[in-house]
This record gives sequence, structure tokens and C-alpha cells, in this order.
Amino acid sequence: MHPILADVRKLLWYLVAWLLVGVVMAGTLALAGLAPWTKALVFAVPVCVVFGFIAPSAYYVCRSLPLARRKVVSVVAVFGAASLLSGLAWLGICAAWSAILREAGEEWAVALPLPLAAMLFAGGVALYLLSIVAHDVLIGIENVRAAERRDAQSRLFARDAELQVLRTQINPHFLFNSLNSISALTTADGAAARAMTIELAQFFRQTLALSHQQKIPLAAEIALCRSFVAVEQIRFGSRLVADFDVADDALDCLVPPMVLQPLVENAIKHGIRDLVDGGVIAIRCFVRERWLHALVGNPVDADARPAEGDGVGLRNIRQRLATLYGERARITWARDGGRFGVEITVPLEHAESEAGR
Amino acid sequence: MSAPLRALIVDDEELARRLVREYLRAHPDIEVAGESRNGLEAVADIEALAPDLIFLDIQMPKLSGLEVLEATERRSGVVFTTAFDEYAIKAFEMLAVDYLLKPFSQERFDEALARARKLVGRRAPALDRLLAQPVPKLERIVIRDRGHVHVVPVADIHYVEAEDDYIEIHTADRSFLKTQRLSDLEAQLDPRRFVRVHRSYLINIDKLKGLERTTKDSQVAVLANGRQIPVSRAGGERIRDCLGAK
Repeated sequence: MHPILADVRKLLWYLVAWLLVGVVMAGTLALAGLAPWTKALVFAVPVCVVFGFIAPSAYYVCRSLPLARRKVVSVVAVFGAASLLSGLAWLGICAAWSAILREAGEEWAVALPLPLAAMLFAGGVALYLLSIVAHDVLIGIENVRAAERRDAQSRLFARDAELQVLRTQINPHFLFNSLNSISALTTADGAAARAMTIELAQFFRQTLALSHQQKIPLAAEIALCRSFVAVEQIRFGSRLVADFDVADDALDCLVPPMVLQPLVENAIKHGIRDLVDGGVIAIRCFVRERWLHALVGNPVDADARPAEGDGVGLRNIRQRLATLYGERARITWARDGGRFGVEITVPLEHAESEAGR
Repeated sequence: MSAPLRALIVDDEELARRLVREYLRAHPDIEVAGESRNGLEAVADIEALAPDLIFLDIQMPKLSGLEVLEATERRSGVVFTTAFDEYAIKAFEMLAVDYLLKPFSQERFDEALARARKLVGRRAPALDRLLAQPVPKLERIVIRDRGHVHVVPVADIHYVEAEDDYIEIHTADRSFLKTQRLSDLEAQLDPRRFVRVHRSYLINIDKLKGLERTTKDSQVAVLANGRQIPVSRAGGERIRDCLGAK
């Protein structure tokens, strides 16, 4: 459907425009001395309004020749033919209206001598060409907008998919090693095997529950980290110590789920695991003014390999934060000799203020 | 009855070692010679204990299981254990190297052990092939030199020179000898970073400072540490291709 005809308001403005064209035409006739003002108006305005319904057909003419697939020959042929036809139609309308007016009474008649007819024809062709150009521009703008919309939509989908993947990402190494530990414990220490099974189940249950939400209280994220550490402590024994220092006023702050847990996981994978004697992972969360700060620090083997995976996990978190907070969140990391530290800063939001949403 | 087989258990997790030890209890003719908690310990233990069988975890601190084999040039009696390592498992499958996927059962363990037992002391060609595999994103090279294990980050390498049947790896101020063919190392390294400039030389393109023409037909590559490396005609073209592609 034509974009102007489909919208009542646009249609009204469009008709007003053609009424004005009619007035201008009448004025030209009057000034040229071909007819007095009233006669000129009665003649010009209706034909212009009728032509107003012919001109939009240019939309379909333009669409028949998509911008991307145009050749000079076909453009000249199709647009020229359409314009000439429209010019003829316009002349026909003018002649018919003139005849009708003459029937109505001699006092309304506007004569159409040959020079005037030629001018009307030329004017009709020119107006139609103008209509073609205007429609081309319109279609061009429409195409650009549609492309932008599609682009934005696909980016949105891509982000959604990415979040989905990130959320459901379960580290298989962690899972299978834990199961192996349980397998080892069953004969030697059945109670410990059961305890580890329960810790592992708890961790995955929390992961599943949290991953559906966009933001969760920090307390829930910390609980997830604690479950994770509890499982890992069975695997690594005394080599792994975690020191949680979370300020009370930070506990009900909202954070995206699974932003700290991967940091703790990294601290073990790239830090503690490489150290023969293990070490302490320090997790600190506190509120400063309008910001929530979360820090995870761990010792690293001074002569260890450069961080595996080139910080893909960290960049994923940065991407997630950017999706959720734009410029207002930050994640930075640095290695300083024997220590590695990550700091996340997000704008302060509280669980209560979110409840009404 | 012959002397018992001696086994070394290499894993950084105590429970994982305990499990292998437990499964071995069903095999009284095998005695546990020792346990290693990381790659470096494993290298020392393999040298010192010369075990017949090695249960070798892949992901470990210090050195990975594959790097342990690389450093010790041990090619026999190895049973890999791993929880999850997509790359390694793919290689094992392709080369028909036996491995145990954690958690594994006593039955599965016994099968692997039975196969390993038959091959004790025999060099396994599959392991040679495994270690010659190009490693995705090889980041460091393990070199064993007079009782020391050196871990050289690939980024630190300036150039590698081929000698008779070994190579000399040069960093800014040190060099290490390794028994390997230059073409094998070249195949493992990122071709966008390492360019074979000469039959006997491989250079790190990041360390290249410039090319100098010495005579009408010959040129040398000047590296960041001032070393000049001869460049063959084909080598010069490869450098230009490599720089052009960046």
C-alpha cells in the first residue's frame, strides 16, 4: 500500500498541498489573463486534486525499478513513458473538466487553446517527474530505515544469544574433575563424597536459578561463589583458601548474575592451581558513593604461562556489563608481579527499587 | 614371577591420585613408585625413578602432561588421564592414543592398563606423532637442558637456528639447545609470527627491526637485539608476504 494513502493524516496534508498547487495554477491563469480569478479557481483546484491521486502512482513506478538494479535506458524509458502518459491523462482531465464546465454554463467555461494545452501537458509531465523523484527519495529513506531496524534487531538478537550462552556456560573441566573427586571419595570417605555431591548440586541449582534473571542481589552471587569455592576446596584441599570480605550495605545491591563467580573460577584456574603451595583468593565488595565495587585478587605463579585464552572470559564480562550498563560500568584487571587482580564497578542499584518493575 | 612393574602417578589433585592408587590395588604386580603433583615434579620423578608406567594428567601446574613428555622425551608406557581437554582428546582419538576420561571406572582403567602393560618399554610411535602435532596457539616451548627445565615463551624468541639434528632457540640474551627439527617446530608455530627466512633460520617477525642488503643478491634480517640473520631470496619474499598480510 502506498505510504501516503495508507495514513489519513498524511493524506490530508497531501491534499492540502495539492489544493495549494491548484491555487497557484489558478493564480497563473488569472495573472496570464486567461480567466478571471473565480473561474480560474473553479477550473484549477478540482483538476489538481484529481491529479493528486494520479501522481502517487509514481511510487509503484519507482518500485518497479529497484534502486540497485537500474540502467539508464530502462530508467529513461519507464519514467519517460509514465510521465508522458500522466501528462496526457492530466491534459485529458483538464479537457474533460473544461467541457463539463462549459455544459454547466458559458460563464464557467475556460477555453483551452493549443498553447495552453501544451503548457498544461508539459506541466503535468514535469509534476509527474517531480513525483517520481520525490518517491525515489522516500523509498530510499524507507530502505535505510528498514536496514537500520534490521541491523539493530539482529544486534539485539546476537546479544541475547550471547547472554544465553554465557549463562548456561558450565565449565566441563570443573564438572568432570569434581565428579572424579567424588568417585575417589566414595570408597575412602563416603560421607565426604556425599557432602561433595550436595555442594556440587547446590552450585548447579543456584547457577540455574540465577541465570534466568537479569540482575540479582550481590548476596546471591556471593552465595554462588561460596558454593563454588566449597566444591573446589574439596579438590584442592588446603591449597585453596578463600577470604570473603563483603560489606553489609553491599549485600542487597544488584549485579548481573555470574559476574563474580567466573572471576573466582579464573583465580583458581590461572592462579591457585599453578601454585604448588596454593594461596588465598581475596574477594572484597563495598559501596562507595553511587558505585558498587567488587574486587577479586589472587596470587599467580611468577613464571607461569601468560594467561590462557587471552582473557576471553574477562572480555565476555566486559561485554555483558556494556550491554547492561553502557558506559556506566567498568571492569579492569592487572597483573602486578605475583598477584592478579580484577575490579568491577557498577552503578548502585538496590533490590527494593527493582521490586516494583 | 618377574619384578613388579613400577608406576608413577602424575596429577595435581590429591583425590585423583588417590583414585588411581586405589584402582592399582587390584593389580598386585604393579607397585606405585611415586606421585608427582605438578609437571616439574613429574619431569624430575620420571628421570629419577624411571617408572615403567606413567598415569599422566594433562592440565597441571607448571607444565602440562604433554610438555612433561616433551621435556623428558619419554615415549613409552604413558596412560593419559584428563577430565576435559577438547584439543587433547581430539588428538588422542585421531592418533589412537589411549587415554582415561575422568571419572573412569575400574573396568575402563583395567583395559587401559592391560594395553599399556603389553607395550611397556616399547617406544610408542603414536606419542611421537602426538607431540609433533601443531598446537593451537602454542605459547611456550619447554626445553630440558642439563637437568633444568626451561619454559620459553614463544613471544620471547628472537630466532631459531637449525644445527645438525637439533635446533638452537635464541631469546634476547640466551639460547637453548633442543633436539627437534626446525621444520617440526615451524609447523607448531603461528606462521603469521614466525617466518622461515633461510633454510637454517626461523625468525620472530615481531623482533624484526629491518632488512639490510649486503651485496647485490643477498640480504640480512636485523633483529631487535642486533643479531643479523642471513635471508635467502625466498625468505625475503616470505618476510614481505608476512608483513604485507598484517
